[in-house]
Amino acid sequence: MAAPSAAGLGQRLRAWLPRIIPVRWSRYNPSYLEPEVKKELYQKPSEELTEEEREQMELKVVRPIKAAPPSLSSSVFSDPMISKFTNMMMKSGNKVLARSLMSQTLEAIKRKQLEKYHKAPENEKETIECNPYVIFHQALKNCQPIIGLSNITKGGKTYQVPVPLTDNRKRFLAMKWLITECRENKHRRTLMPEKLSQELLLAFNNEGPVIKKKHVLHKMAEANRAYAHFRWW
Amino acid sequence: QLDHGCALHTAARDGLSSMSSQDVPAERPRAVFHTSESDPAKHTEQHEARLYNIPLEEVKAVFPHGLPHRFQQQIRTFNEARVMVRKPALELLAYLRASNFAHPAVRYVIYGERGTGKTMTLCHVLHYCSRQGWLVLHIPDAHLWVKNCKELLQSSYKKDRLDQPLQASVWLKNFKTSNERFLQEIKTQKKYMWGKQESTEEGRPLGEVVEQGLARVRSATDAMGVVLREIKQQSHRGSFRLLVAVDGVNALWGRTTLRKEDKSPVSPEELTLVHNLRKMLRNDWSGGAIVTTLSQTGSLFKPSSAYTPQELLGKEGFDALDPFVPISVPNYSPREFESCYGYYLERKWLQHEKAHTEDGKAELRFLSGSNPRQLDRLAGPL
Repeated sequence: MAAPSAAGLGQRLRAWLPRIIPVRWSRYNPSYLEPEVKKELYQKPSEELTEEEREQMELKVVRPIKAAPPSLSSSVFSDPMISKFTNMMMKSGNKVLARSLMSQTLEAIKRKQLEKYHKAPENEKETIECNPYVIFHQALKNCQPIIGLSNITKGGKTYQVPVPLTDNRKRFLAMKWLITECRENKHRRTLMPEKLSQELLLAFNNEGPVIKKKHVLHKMAEANRAYAHFRWW
Repeated sequence: QLDHGCALHTAARDGLSSMSSQDVPAERPRAVFHTSESDPAKHTEQHEARLYNIPLEEVKAVFPHGLPHRFQQQIRTFNEARVMVRKPALELLAYLRASNFAHPAVRYVIYGERGTGKTMTLCHVLHYCSRQGWLVLHIPDAHLWVKNCKELLQSSYKKDRLDQPLQASVWLKNFKTSNERFLQEIKTQKKYMWGKQESTEEGRPLGEVVEQGLARVRSATDAMGVVLREIKQQSHRGSFRLLVAVDGVNALWGRTTLRKEDKSPVSPEELTLVHNLRKMLRNDWSGGAIVTTLSQTGSLFKPSSAYTPQELLGKEGFDALDPFVPISVPNYSPREFESCYGYYLERKWLQHEKAHTEDGKAELRFLSGSNPRQLDRLAGPL
């Protein structure tokens, strides 16, 4: 049979791999394939497929497929940044609540901007951005710090050393600051969507407490420039 | 004789005269899914699946308390009130036009699954009736009377009944806003005593009874009872047409979550407001119509899959309402869905760039199942 000998050849020629691959708290046999969500791939007629894609399609007939994780979506409206932000807002696994808060926030942003748009005079209408997704992405980009600080202990003393940040870390810090700001510095009776929409609109215009926090971090890094040589990576 | 023309407040009348029924001579042509016919009396099958505009002054005069919350938010955001003309509403309007007002009042029950547009159908019919000059008795949600009541007073009129002063005074205030004209024209037919000293003589306009109810909140429930009784007794004379519009009528025959001071449960008959409203819903008067809506959303102790009259009204309610005309409200038809989607696009409500594509539209149609409420909820964040 082709399959066992191919697997045996693969095992003998490749470096050591464990017999079962742990993935997402369950251990799948390596023969399991990842689920494919992109609709365009299935709608393409077989002539347009490249060699690898043709091989993949043939494999799919015989191999089992792993279970799709809940965050994987084939919807045209799904956005990885929004999903990440929703997960960070989630408490004790209550994704339903986190997602509804997120959608209420986006709707609140849209309502505020549309009201402003309808009341504005004709020449100012183009400057008002009504798309909540554009506002969200721009606000997060404005909140991302460029340089961070890290604690390095040398000679018994701990120094705050300026250090470059990876893209992931920047995104994480921006989202974390936004969520913490909205959770702590609000009146007891204001709801999360209202406060979040307010903060996002302020961050979109480069104002607000989160942008201030980013500037404070930048100033600290600038002040501690002398210790930059302590970094060894 | 009362004036059968425009029955609205003077401010609304000025707004109406400026809104003509010709095509809006705008710079851009209004799209296919709009209609410039803002008088419900002229709506026919030709206008089906199209949205008509209600001027904002009329909205404030006719619907002080009737519209769903999401629709009110939409009015504020878009700066206009657009209601879709749908088949169930057209059916009801045809029945109302053809009804004989010498016969006892016909009862219509609008039913349907959750979020299909029953309340909006009721509002459409209400708009038609107030344009035609009817006296409109609108109870926005009967469920609010049988739950979450902070104050329950023992009724001074009948010992074993309970009054709800807050709900009654709120309703009286809204009734005053929507039917100013009739309050001056209808006169009381007997003398009413409010407590030991105050009384309203025979022949005084009904507006005085309403003022009494608003000034002395304790007697608001009794004032409301008097208003209902007077209107019912005088409707057969033909000087005005009466429309009794109740939303969530299944609340009147269900259970309540209220308790008396000795923690025993209150049944709906013991509430004065419910008792009086049940008397209005009996078809022993003539000269008008009764249009009601069933609603599972605010109902108490009913499963969420229940939507038929039998399930929601129970045996008692069904027998009380028995000879009624059922009107079913389904989800959006494909044409209505296109119309709603086009309206959202035109008003810039759908901002996501993928929402403008065919794929996005197909996804919205699938996820909402053509249910109006689900479509509204989905289109919110997009």
